[in-house]
Amino acid sequence: MATAMDALDRIVEGNRIYAQKTAAKDPNAFLELSKGQAPEILWIGCADSRIPETTICHSRPGELFVHRNIANCVHADDMNAASVVEYAVAHLKVKRIVVCGHSKCGGAIASLGDADLGTTLNTWLHPARELRRRHKAELDALPDDDVRALRLAELNVHQSIDVLRQHPAVKKAVGDRGLTVHGLIYDIGAGQLRLLEDAAARGKGNGLWSPNRH
Amino acid sequence: MAEQQEVQKYLQQSHDKIFESNKKWAEEQKAKNPQFFDELQKGQSPDYLWIGCSDSRIPAEAITGLGPGEMFIHRNIANLVCNVDLNVMSVVNYAVRHLKVKHIVVCGHYGCGGVKAAMTPQDLGLLNPWLRNIRDVYRLHEKELDALEGEARYDRLVELNVVEQCRNIIKTAAVQQSYAENEFPIVHGWVFGFKDGLLKDLKVDHEAILKDIQKIYNLTN
Ligand SMILES: [Zn+2]
Ligand SMILES: [Zn+2]
Repeated sequence: MATAMDALDRIVEGNRIYAQKTAAKDPNAFLELSKGQAPEILWIGCADSRIPETTICHSRPGELFVHRNIANCVHADDMNAASVVEYAVAHLKVKRIVVCGHSKCGGAIASLGDADLGTTLNTWLHPARELRRRHKAELDALPDDDVRALRLAELNVHQSIDVLRQHPAVKKAVGDRGLTVHGLIYDIGAGQLRLLEDAAARGKGNGLWSPNRH
Repeated sequence: MAEQQEVQKYLQQSHDKIFESNKKWAEEQKAKNPQFFDELQKGQSPDYLWIGCSDSRIPAEAITGLGPGEMFIHRNIANLVCNVDLNVMSVVNYAVRHLKVKHIVVCGHYGCGGVKAAMTPQDLGLLNPWLRNIRDVYRLHEKELDALEGEARYDRLVELNVVEQCRNIIKTAAVQQSYAENEFPIVHGWVFGFKDGLLKDLKVDHEAILKDIQKIYNLTN
């Protein structure tokens, strides 16, 4: 294990290499970036270190506007996420919002039970734990906690999407210019993204399949 | 069925790029190291927590050269850490108490749209409460900022905002208690510049800020 200062030196050095390489490939790269951003996608993902969105999507800087929190939750009363959504949708006019959950999510695993994680995390995970209670029969029928956590992660993505659809800027942009909202699951063990497509099975369309309907 | 087909076509076009790129990336990693994803599957133990701006031009891992599993990430508008914000507070809490990160980096950037918006005297609707935090940073440093002009004032507010957010993190019980016990995490304030793609260290003095705030905010018991 590296010492504390080494760890810091590492990212300072990593940044130096990034700056050099980027400029070597395209001397105008930073000049172009400095002019502004026009990302097409708002990415709402988990804070988990294993899912660096730009890396796993092979994207370039400037392509994904990013919000990451514990278990990629969008709660209706959360001003942090709501502000990100407002800025991305109303001001930057992104074309798509992606909510990405993942396998082995610590937040989903913790939400399978009611262990006391302290007031802050208990409150943050409360909606996910409620979701688990609402889907108890389905989750109980699954073979093990790994599968249960993955299913809860999926349900949680849908829940976040449902909340997103009520955001005033999202509502307006879906109607006015065909903004679409999508759910993804990232499989940590395979490194691959998968589109969530069981919206219809939930008895109502969430717009995932029909970009112009809302 | 017809709708289904149309939908498939739509999804194909809109998602091809992201999925194809992702697949390519996953294959590359496996070719380089067949155990890569098996290792990641076992869990995470990142050394760093990064609190940065949502701005698309500053992908934290890419600009620091870190790979999957190395940095826990929170990104919001203008990299703010507000004490009543459950979102960022649960990230800090989890990173410090459960993952035991060694470093917390608050990274702002010059040309930040959030900071710019906060410098604009205008009703921005839903964004008002969030931007209010940056306006408050301005008020705290009004004299210094008013003495500056245009870009210089804007750049300086970006820096002062980062320092203020570092202070906010140090004020948390999680950080104070962990630091008293383990001498980590250490909080750092950086600013990313588009001019050269480099991170500027604002030399935030963790120890000094801690001593300074503990007169009023000591939560170590
Ligand atoms: Zn997660
Ligand atoms: Zn910014």
